[in-house]
This record gives sequence, C-alpha cells and structure tokens, in this order.
Amino acid sequence: MFFKHLLVLLLALTFAEAEAYVSQSIIKNVEKKYNKFAENRFIDMQQRLDALKNKSTIIKLNTINTFFNQVRYKSDIQNYKMSDYWATPWEFLARDAGDCEDYVIAKFFALKYLGIDPKKMYFTYVKSTQFKEAHMVLTYFETPTSEPLILDNNNRFVLPASKRPDLIPIYNFNGDILSKAAKKAHQKTTKKWDDLIQNTKKGKI
Amino acid sequence: MTLYKQLSFLVTLLLISIFIIVLGVNFKNSTDSVQEQLYADAKNTATSLSLSLASANGNISMMSTMINANFDNGSYQNITLMDMNGELLYERHSEEKTIDVPNWFIEMIPIKAPVASANVSAGWNPIGILNVQSSTSDAYQHLYEILCSLAVSFSITFVISVVILYILLIVLLRPLKEIRHQADAISNNRFIIQEYLPYTKDFSEVVKAMNIMVKKVEDIFNKANDALRRQSELMYKDEATGLYNRKYLLNKLPEYLKIDAQIPSGVCIMLSVNGVQEANKILGRQKVDKLYEDIARMLKQHSNDFENSLVVRMNGTEFFILLPRCSEVNGISIAEYMSHASDILLSKDLDRTKTFLTFGVYEYNHKQTVSQLLSASDYALSQAKLFTDKTHVYFHKTESDAEIMGKEEWREAIDFAIQHNTIHFDTYKAVNAETKEVIHNVLTIAIISQDGQKYSYGKFIAPAITLGLDIEIYKKALVKIFKEPNAELKGSVCSLRLSSQYLEDTLTFSELKHLLDKYAKDLPFKLIIELPDKALSADSENLQLYKELFEHHNIQLGVFEFIGESEDYRYLKELRPAYIKAEIEYLLSQTTQDLSSLQVVADSIGIDLIATGVMDKESLEKLQAIRIDKVQGRVTEMLS
Repeated sequence: MFFKHLLVLLLALTFAEAEAYVSQSIIKNVEKKYNKFAENRFIDMQQRLDALKNKSTIIKLNTINTFFNQVRYKSDIQNYKMSDYWATPWEFLARDAGDCEDYVIAKFFALKYLGIDPKKMYFTYVKSTQFKEAHMVLTYFETPTSEPLILDNNNRFVLPASKRPDLIPIYNFNGDILSKAAKKAHQKTTKKWDDLIQNTKKGKI
Repeated sequence: MTLYKQLSFLVTLLLISIFIIVLGVNFKNSTDSVQEQLYADAKNTATSLSLSLASANGNISMMSTMINANFDNGSYQNITLMDMNGELLYERHSEEKTIDVPNWFIEMIPIKAPVASANVSAGWNPIGILNVQSSTSDAYQHLYEILCSLAVSFSITFVISVVILYILLIVLLRPLKEIRHQADAISNNRFIIQEYLPYTKDFSEVVKAMNIMVKKVEDIFNKANDALRRQSELMYKDEATGLYNRKYLLNKLPEYLKIDAQIPSGVCIMLSVNGVQEANKILGRQKVDKLYEDIARMLKQHSNDFENSLVVRMNGTEFFILLPRCSEVNGISIAEYMSHASDILLSKDLDRTKTFLTFGVYEYNHKQTVSQLLSASDYALSQAKLFTDKTHVYFHKTESDAEIMGKEEWREAIDFAIQHNTIHFDTYKAVNAETKEVIHNVLTIAIISQDGQKYSYGKFIAPAITLGLDIEIYKKALVKIFKEPNAELKGSVCSLRLSSQYLEDTLTFSELKHLLDKYAKDLPFKLIIELPDKALSADSENLQLYKELFEHHNIQLGVFEFIGESEDYRYLKELRPAYIKAEIEYLLSQTTQDLSSLQVVADSIGIDLIATGVMDKESLEKLQAIRIDKVQGRVTEMLS
C-alpha cells in the first residue's frame, strides 16, 4: 500500500515538473481571442501528446499525422491575406485552418516535443503529380540513408516514400540542422525559419 | 573672446559633432546593410546551388563541377560541401582579390563574411550540407565608396550649414555688435545713442539702459557746458561796452608774452577817461555810458588792422588796447589820432580841462612778464596824465635786453641744426602729485649749433620764429621722433607741442601724413600731440585734416594754453583730448563755480586737467585745495 502511494506521488511530481507542449497562458489567450472550441482543441492536443509520450515512434508519427490532418486546409491568402506565410503551431490549431507548410510545421514541433530527433525530420518540398502543384510534406528518416516515411496532409496514412509515387522530391530543409551551423557563424538560418521560431516562442496566436 | 567668436566656435563644434555622429551612424548602417546583403547573396546561392546539386543524385564529380561553375562565376570566398556526418566532400576557397581600398580602412572595419547553409538531397534522402561564404572584397570596395561619397556629401553639407549658421549668427548678433560699439564709445568717452532697438528682448533692455546712461552723462556735460559758457561770458565780458575785461586780459596776456610767441613785440595803449564825475554831473550817467560805448567802438576800429589785437576795459574809466606787430611810430600816431578823435566824442558842454582822455603808449616785447607789461603801461598812462601836451599821449619805450647772439649768428646755428639734423629732445614730466605717478613725458625741442653749444627751446625758438625757421624745426623734430625714436622712452607716454603756425602751414600736412603712414605704427611709445586751445576751438578746415590723421594713427591730442574763452565746449566732446593744460594762474583765478563746471565737463568726457607752470610746493598745495593734482613745471622735480 505504501509503495503504491509512493509511485502515485512520484508520477504526479514527474508530470507536474514536465513542461507542457502548450502553456496555460497560450490556452487562455486562445480562448480570449478565438472561442471555447479553439481552447478545447489545445487542451485535447496537450492530452493526446501527454498520452503519446511513452509510445513507439510509428504510433507517434501516425497519431500526430492523423490529429493534425483533421484541421481544414485553407490557403495563406484566405487565411492570412498573404501569399506565403509559415504559421506557428498555435495559429494553425487556433484558427483550425492552414496550408501544407502549416501542417508540416505543426507536426514537426509536436513530434519534436514527443522526443523524435529533429535531425531525422525534414520539411520536404515535393511536386504532387496528383494535384499538379507544389506541395510540402514532413519526411521522417530513421537513418540518413533509410527510406523516409511521409507525413502528408493529403493522406491519412504515414507511408514510405516508395508508396508515394504521386510525390516527386525536390528539396529537403531542416531548420534545426541549419540553425546549429548558423549559430556557430552568428548568422540567421533563413528568414522564414527564424521568424517561425521567434513567433512560436512568443506564443503568437 | 567676443560672444560671436564663442558662439561660432560652439556652433562649429556642435556641427562637427553632429556630422561625425550622423556620418558614423550612416556608415554603420551601410556596413550592417552590406553584411546583410553578403548573407542574403550567400543564402540565395546556397539554396539555388543545393537545388541544382539534388539533380546530381549524390554524384560527387557532378556536384563538384556544379560547385566550380558557381564559384568561378560569382564572388565567393568559400564553398564547402559536407556529408551528413560533417565530413568534407568538396571545397573551393579563394584568396581575397586585390582591391583599391587603403589598408587602414580594412583594418578599421572588420567585415566577417557570413556563411549560409542549405541541405543537399538526392531524391528523398538528404546527403549533405552546402556552406557558402561570399567574398568581402566587393563589400570593402562598396563600403569604401560609400564612405567617400558620404564624406564628400557631408563636407558639402557641413560647409553650407556652417555658412548659413554664421550668416544667421551675424544677423542675430548684429545688435550685439552695435551694443559693443556703443560700449566702446562709452569707454572712450564718446556718447552714442542707439536709435534702433534690437528685436531680442535681452539686447533691447541693455540698449535702453545704455541709452539712458549715455543720455544722463550727456545731460551732465551739457549742463556743465552751458554753465561754463554763461560763466565765461560773465567772467570775461564788460556788460556796458561788450569789451573783454581785466580778468580776460590777465589770462590772455601769457599767450602774447611767451618764448615762442609768433608776434614777438607790439604796442599797447592804456587809455584813461579823466573827469568822469564832472561829466556825470553835466551830462548825466546815461550820456557818459554812451561815451564809453563810443570809446569802445573807436578802440575796436583802430585795433581791427592788427592781427590778434586785444581791446579791454580795465575798469570803469580805463581801457587797454594791445596791438601786436605794431611799431613804435605807428602806435604813437594811432594814440594821437584817437586823442584828436576823442575831441569829437566828448560833448561840447564838458570842461575840457577837467574831462579829457589820456593815452599811455608802451612798446612791449614777448620776453616781458604780465606784471612788467601792465606796470609799464600804467607808468606810461600816469606820465601821460602828468607831463604830456594837449595830445595827452605819452610814449614809454621798453628797455630791451642785450641779445646773447645776433640775428645772423642765430640763423647760422638754426640752419646748422636743420641741415645736420642736430635736433634733440629735452624731457620733462607731467606728474600726478597725489599718486606720484608720471602722467607723460613732455618732449621739448633743443638744437645743437656748429660749435657744439646746446640751445633749449626757450632760447632758440624766438629767433627761429623771427627768422621764419620755426616750422622747419618742427618738421625736422617730427621726422626725428618717428624715424629715430628714443629707445629709452619705449612703453611710455610722451607729448609734443605743435604751434598754430605749424598747423596753418599748407605744406606741412602732406609731409606729416607721409611720415605717419610710414612710421607711426612702429613708434615704441604712445605719442600725444599738444595743440593750442585757440586753434582747436577755432576748428579750421586744416585742423580737421590733422585731427583725422592723428585719429587714424591712434595718436591722441592734448590741449594747451586753455583759458576757457570758447563760446562752447562741445569741441572738447568731439575731440576727446587726453588732457587740458592750463596755466596755474588761470586755474587759481577761477571761482569755485567756474572751476567746478570745468571739472564736470572734463570728468564727464574723461579728460584730465593738468596745471602748467607750477614752480613750487606752495602753488601745488593751492592747486590740490581745488582738487587739481596733475601738474607740470619745476615742482615735479620736488615730487619724485
């Protein structure tokens, strides 16, 4: 009985100390700026992430892909009155809308929070032969030479690249890797990436 | 340092500071912008090149070729391709190219070329990282050009700003210049009223205050001047006849009886109206007064032909007429003529044995004293009353002193001094008896003859005037003062007298002007030129030229032979002499009121009053009792 109480106490302390993906202040601000439903989405996301902490990588990838693919697609022009804008994960979820880059960003940060090595994830610019347009997906490489898994907002399944003949890879981008090199030279990574990091840290909604 | 200079300095300093700061900030922004641009260029290259490298599918040789093509056609310092483990796959590096930028500039502005990175993929897989670093040479070149163009544009702007600010300062501080001009004028005892009040309130208040002060001082001067003028009219004039009185004669005679008197001799006639009491009884007072007026008119009429003649009513019944350059014969005939004319003037009702005019004629010379001349005249008149025939004219001849040298000997000695420039200066002191300080050194001319004999001014000037060589002596003396100044007098103040005759000579001005233009600025001592009061108050055209000339060369004027006979003392205000020199006899004979007015006039325009001919301590004490401490004469030797 004593050991059971001790375990509960330790677990409670562990969870209390572990930093949440989304802070309470952001949740409060979301409720204020948007509505109760938006707030509920954030609470739901935090609960799902908490539940995923000790799951396998593939479960994390699939769950995150499925969770964020529920958000509606909306172009940047319609959403932000800008031709191209990289939204923070908070803006994306609060508005419950975004374009392909926004899905990739939200998935990248959520997976990073869940402990996936960011060096294994790339923002991959691809050409969609199905939609005949430029597109972006999040790719996961177990090793640098292994076949990547594709997290695509247009597909609810996380599939290996070979199962996605509709996508032609063009360019891989990993802000985390580049920012480490840039930090050494006291330089920026890219404007979009640096703005995104800054806005995310500020809790821009 | 003037306010204008201080403000100019401050404004220039401020402008320089502002321009340096603005130039610095501008240049810093340009440097930052160039650095940003270097990074942006490197980033663009890294991204586009990494996209190209993706088509090589990981083929190193193909990727190297692509990197080479980019490197050779761009301006890069370094391009490296690393694999995913950080191992170097390929590198291109270039030395900095030679640029036309000075080394100090490169050392002063350290530009670190930023490195831009991009992921390189082959198909889906990332295969490495591409690092691109732009060359700094072009950046340095560009920055140096920016600095040069900034420096040029800022210099032009600076010069224009400084000019505009200086013009503004001049306009703004113009009233201050006027104020300074007025302040300088006040310091120099000149009174200027500024009609224009400056717009700036502070300046306006100062100008108003100075105007009020100047006005007050000017009022004091004017009041004292009016008082002095009224007093001089009362002091020197006989109301009944309009002739000068005995006091005037006493103050005026020294001018005729001085060593350098221009006219060394003449005749004076003392006239007495005898039997006035009887005349009053017979004719009545009014008619007798009329008789006096007629006599005055007659005397004036006869004196008109003689330059600088004097007609004076000595007392109720005696008149005095001084006729310079009049000969013995002429003097007697004038007296006899007047004696005959008086017959017509005297009424037929009068008893001629009781009421008649007597004339004492006396031939004087300039070596006599005032009392000698008056005693001799009195003697001649008394003799005329006692011994003369019916003409009632008695002539008394002066006993002339035996001359040391004859006329020709003097000519020889003076000519020698002029020809051989053996002119020297004796120095006497004018001293403030109160402080014992020397006010100035009085330079008097002396000559040395061919036999080495030195003749002082008192000895040689009378023969020089008689021989017409006095002006030549003055000329030579002035040349000597300016060309060969006495080094012992360096830093002191000296005075030199010029006679009226020198000033009146038409040829002297151009010579003196030439002399002053050439040598005045190098004179080692401050020179004051003393001019006779009579010449200054007359203010002739010629004198005006001299005044301007002396003022131009910063040579002050001094006044001597002052006896307060002017009708207005405004000439003193305009002239602003350093001092007025008056004979001790004149000063001691003034009433307290007269002297006070004179002192107020002098004080209000900053003129010293110096008593001359002070021979002993007793005289000095008398002068000090009437607040005159500045003296010249033998007493100065007893003061040191």
